Amino acid sequence: MMKKKMLYTVLSVLMALSLLLAACAPAATPTEAPAEPAVEEPVVEEPVEPAEPEEPMEEGPCLIIGALHGGPINDAGYNQAMHESVAAIAENIECVEIIEAENVPEEAGATATMENMISEGAGMIIATAFNHQYPALELAGKYPDVIFEHAGGWEMSGNFANFFGEPPDAWYMMGVAAGRMTETNKLGFVAAFPLGWSLTFANAFHLGAVSVNPDVETTVSFTFSWGDSAKEADTTNALINQGVDVITMHVDSPATIISTAESRGAYSIGFQSLHAQQFAPEYWISGTGYTLGGTLTWLTSTVLDGTWEPIFLRCSLWDGCMAMAPFGPKVPQEVQDEVMAVSAALESGETVVFTGPILDQEGNVVVAEGDVLTDDVMSSVDWLVQGMVGSPK
Amino acid sequence: MTLLSILGVLSSAIFSGTSLLYTTLGEIIDQRAGIVNLGLEGVLLISGATGIAVTSLTGNPYLGVLSAALVGGATNLILGFLVVTRRGNQLASGLALMFFGFGASALIGKSFVGLKINGLPRLTIPGFGNLPPRYLSLIQFDTLIYLAIPCTLLIWWLLFRTRWGLGVRAVGENADTAFASGRSPHLIKYQALFVGGMLAGLGAAHLTIAYTLNWTEYMMGGRGFIAVALVIFSKWHPIRAIVGALLFSGAVAFQLLLQASGVQISPFLLDTIPYLLTILVLIVWGGSRKHSAPASLGRVYMGTE
Amino acid sequence: MEADNKRRPTAIMQKIFSAITRYLSMVVLALGLFGIIIWISGKNPIVSYRELFGSTLGSWYGFSEVLVAMTPLLITALAVALPSRIGLINVGVEGQLYMGACAATWGALILFNAPAWLLLPLMAIFGMLGGALWALIPGLLRAMGLVNETITTLLLNSVAPKLVAFFVFGFWHSSMDTNKTPNFVDAARLPTFFGTRIDLGLVIGILLLIVFWLVMKHTRWGLEIRAIGGNPEAAQRNGVPLKVYIVAILCIGGAIAGLAGMALVSGYYGVLLTGFSRGVGFIGFLISWLSFGDPIGIVLTSFVVAIITTGGSMLQLTTALPYAVINILLAVALFVVLSGINLFPKRKTA
Repeated sequence: MMKKKMLYTVLSVLMALSLLLAACAPAATPTEAPAEPAVEEPVVEEPVEPAEPEEPMEEGPCLIIGALHGGPINDAGYNQAMHESVAAIAENIECVEIIEAENVPEEAGATATMENMISEGAGMIIATAFNHQYPALELAGKYPDVIFEHAGGWEMSGNFANFFGEPPDAWYMMGVAAGRMTETNKLGFVAAFPLGWSLTFANAFHLGAVSVNPDVETTVSFTFSWGDSAKEADTTNALINQGVDVITMHVDSPATIISTAESRGAYSIGFQSLHAQQFAPEYWISGTGYTLGGTLTWLTSTVLDGTWEPIFLRCSLWDGCMAMAPFGPKVPQEVQDEVMAVSAALESGETVVFTGPILDQEGNVVVAEGDVLTDDVMSSVDWLVQGMVGSPK
Repeated sequence: MTLLSILGVLSSAIFSGTSLLYTTLGEIIDQRAGIVNLGLEGVLLISGATGIAVTSLTGNPYLGVLSAALVGGATNLILGFLVVTRRGNQLASGLALMFFGFGASALIGKSFVGLKINGLPRLTIPGFGNLPPRYLSLIQFDTLIYLAIPCTLLIWWLLFRTRWGLGVRAVGENADTAFASGRSPHLIKYQALFVGGMLAGLGAAHLTIAYTLNWTEYMMGGRGFIAVALVIFSKWHPIRAIVGALLFSGAVAFQLLLQASGVQISPFLLDTIPYLLTILVLIVWGGSRKHSAPASLGRVYMGTE
Repeated sequence: MEADNKRRPTAIMQKIFSAITRYLSMVVLALGLFGIIIWISGKNPIVSYRELFGSTLGSWYGFSEVLVAMTPLLITALAVALPSRIGLINVGVEGQLYMGACAATWGALILFNAPAWLLLPLMAIFGMLGGALWALIPGLLRAMGLVNETITTLLLNSVAPKLVAFFVFGFWHSSMDTNKTPNFVDAARLPTFFGTRIDLGLVIGILLLIVFWLVMKHTRWGLEIRAIGGNPEAAQRNGVPLKVYIVAILCIGGAIAGLAGMALVSGYYGVLLTGFSRGVGFIGFLISWLSFGDPIGIVLTSFVVAIITTGGSMLQLTTALPYAVINILLAVALFVVLSGINLFPKRKTA
């Protein structure tokens, strides 16, 4: 009985205290929903009024951008690549201010962060995690004056669009390198989830390898997490114990996988960010990473001058949206030259990665002769190419 | 199913199982003293983050391991304060410690995500240096792995062959009787918690400094709770913990092997087997005298302690 | 006589006064410890406090978010409080939460064509069944005197998320999804209020707490529950079917937790995400334990905890501290209360 009274007293005091503190919170911290965002509205219907990109009202920034990441921004992987791309905006456009949040939870958990960013004056939100798409889309409906850009998604609306690189071609090139470097003819692909894009990347990798080395077998193994380093280490070791000697991946951070491969003397090919190379000084082959700074800067400039339109923005290695890492010390010159030749062929359109006929693991034709896979099909792929080991489900 | 893949399962089991073994040994000591540490997950996280931080800052993995162990011990002392001195409820205090671990580890580890560290060096057994690298790397174990079994034996000896261990077990059975026989239950519990925490710290250090070589938030992935299950599975005995740790980790490696061979067993279902086995063990052997828990644990589970 | 009458009000006043000062000191202590940790990491504690309270209580949006966060806490705390009345420790709320969410998701995905007025109650029922089922085995084992429910529910906590992942990856997710099911149809979403994210779950939670209070105070079941809680053997000798109560109450607790799971996936998320709960069940356990299972206490404590967890979002933006740091405040507050509460007259003499 007495304990209960004590408890009520505590809690009431606590609440009173908190209300008191809140009342004392100075108005300098804007916590209301934004009345006027500090950015010009890029209205789709009126392509007029190129508003001044400089300070509109007071001395404040011309645009506040809120960027969310699903993981840590120094992960030497996807989140770091995105972070650096976002940071590039501020480097290129001086008056822009960036608010960043890392380790933002997925789905509805991200809404609070975005709302808080908007209440801090953000006029543009860049959501970089895959599962931030729908909460961002919902908020886009609630805040028609704020621009939302999502990385890697597909939804579109009046103020919601997306952007990304075009990995499959880059994967094909990496596959070529892997196909040439492997001595056991077994390649390994550590993927987070059986996601259409992950399967597409693995397929592109395998197709590239097979184009120079028809005996190659690629094993795909899932960790079921974007960043579970213990699982990644386990999976990498398991693949190597199967005889795999070239490892690559589609997870957030390649760090653990590459370190583990290096410790076992297996080659590695990096992905997501070029910072991956530091983990494999010896057995690094190459890698690709996202370098979307230029793209994001361009998008921001359209927001600033009022010409922003929702577009499904994809750009490739040759547009500068992705970059290839330097080759490692063990890669012979002929292989390097071959990879660069393939790159040129891909760029010119002479070689197309997913051109038919392509058979899946059971031998069914999934891409008919003469057909080419389109983007939306690539995002919902649920098969692996013949010669690959692993379950696409 | 090649020789390499089978040896690989064993090697993986050893690599992953070592951290689990140390952690379990730590929890065994805690529980033998009558304290259920539900905050083990938090202790692991804080120790792991500290280990990475120190290793990254000093470049010396051994210092990292040492600091992880000390921090683990210190963190457990928080539980000691709450539960022993303040007589708080063990389950609630443990869970509070877990949340503390979530936050403190994130704070400590934040600057060290994605940094390359000097992992604990892997030692080659002299004479085996000529094996092909893929096989050789299977048996290049680090110091902590080599020390795991000796450590287990040490803990066994400590618990069952020393006065101190007797005190710990006595306190775990009945603190009042222990007190009556001239021991200081509070002091013993604190000591047990510190030793237990150090072992947990070693377990966390092995995972971060020797195996994954990096740090991410929440990376322990529930190992604290796996260890609590493992303690019950090994019936509070250090030697049996070895079997349990190998079994639990081997299952993971085995499942990966199956996956690559085309046999589809859901990794998730396989992961549940250790817990289900533990419940089974409890049902079958829970009542018998030899296998039962330290008596005062029962009071914890009943909520009267 | 007269002197007594004069003394009593002052004595009571003194008691209240000392209680207030003691508890104020606890609050200050908790905030202070947290502030020290913030300061050590190089950030400004005062700014942190201001952000924490300002962003949650200083705006309608913030306040609504606190209520949103409070919803699962209320319900999970109740799921622990009810069994605690007969001395059962239901630390397995986390697992029951997952299983309830899983079952409700199954309903949402299978019956996606049903109208909301049918689908939502069905999902709620599935959720409750899922949670209840998860508590059944521990309940039976305890009733049979084989294994303590504390351990079994704890172990099953770790099994549940894996089972959920098994269903998601095995049956429900498509190649467009990572670790989640497809988004729920609108009919499967709990309605929200006033343009905020507060959903029907809050109303359900409060209703359940009221029902709980009424049952405990005014019904025969409540009487029997209190009897068991007071002295199980005596109750049993008086004809109260102890074993039935053990299983039934634990299952009802599980059902309530399952309902919380359903509210989370249907109201808050609108999708089943593997690993969606980072300890909500455990926080509920702590809340129930701290409030001694009392409904009003549960509401107040959930409110305070919700302020802490919601405030962390803003803190992350303005101080560049990781969101996870808010757990430190939560933990420190718990530490202070856990060590403080036993400061009070329960002194064992000798």
